[in-house]
Amino acid sequence: MTEELLVQIREQYGKRRNRRMRSAGTIPAVLYGHGEKTVSLSVAADAFSAVLRHGARMVDLTGAVKESALIREVQWDTWGSEVLHVDFTRVSAHEKVEVRVTLELRGEAPGFHEGGIVEQLLHDVPLMCPAARVPEKIEVGVNALNLGDSITVADLTLPEGATVLAAPEEVVVHCIEPIAAPAEEEMAEAEAGEPEVIGEKKPEEEAGEE
Amino acid sequence: MALMPKRVKHRKSQRGRIRGEATRGNRVVFGEFGLQAVQGGWISAATIEAGRIAAQQYLRNEGRLYIRIFPQKPITSIPLETRMGKGKGEPDYWAAVIRPGTVLYEIGGVTEEAARLCFTRLAHKMPVRVRFLRRRTA
Repeated sequence: MTEELLVQIREQYGKRRNRRMRSAGTIPAVLYGHGEKTVSLSVAADAFSAVLRHGARMVDLTGAVKESALIREVQWDTWGSEVLHVDFTRVSAHEKVEVRVTLELRGEAPGFHEGGIVEQLLHDVPLMCPAARVPEKIEVGVNALNLGDSITVADLTLPEGATVLAAPEEVVVHCIEPIAAPAEEEMAEAEAGEPEVIGEKKPEEEAGEE
Repeated sequence: MALMPKRVKHRKSQRGRIRGEATRGNRVVFGEFGLQAVQGGWISAATIEAGRIAAQQYLRNEGRLYIRIFPQKPITSIPLETRMGKGKGEPDYWAAVIRPGTVLYEIGGVTEEAARLCFTRLAHKMPVRVRFLRRRTA
């Protein structure tokens, strides 16, 4: 999915100026790739959050530059509410790019009703696929996941032209027996005085030296 | 339960100050939902354990709980009714230093509703204000 994004050339650099820009409702960004010159940009915060909300990975930059680009990296603040900076990479639609795509579980595992825990170990996978066909997410059906079963990277249904860069035997989701919480007695055993101090001589060693 | 380091460089540490927000450990990484501190502070090993027990009792072996913090800091105290002086007190307990934004616990393998209820119980044990957090998609 490709969306249009209006960008402007950014001529202000540095922490303070970027902070002022953010408070004024624009996000600092950068465009690079294809061996061409790196360009500092700024983009309207609300327009960019709309692009993110629609799940777009590819954008057609308009305004100061007219190029198609991939959203390479988005930096968020501590609270995950505001975008601090965006990296765009120049790509052509047929070019293959490496992206991380979210894995979403679909359905209800029969193993869950047998008392098992459905545990998702891999939440996203690295994919190599044509830039124009980067999927928003990959759905993983768990309707046949019984107790003790697992779904690996090799079992994923990938979009056309995409190859996965993770190890095929890597487990995406499994249904396992519940892990019993450690008993109180075991906890009490684990409680043992003070930790060892690195470089501190023990009393026996000191006596030996004397 | 004694959550504490196995080996340390020094037995005692200075109090320190909690400045700024968490720039690491502020995302949900292992599970699907997380409990994020909104305030900074110290969370003792006993409190971390109390939170774990509260969550486990609610989850009853369903889902998986991840503890994202560890008490690395020795907190010293001097005995009651002691005269001033005579040096720094002895280590009393261990605490995790929490910056605002730190993810304290995570839960995976349960519905959002269950995770919210579980974290509500857990939040009552915490000495800092917390909020519910969802995993961000890639």
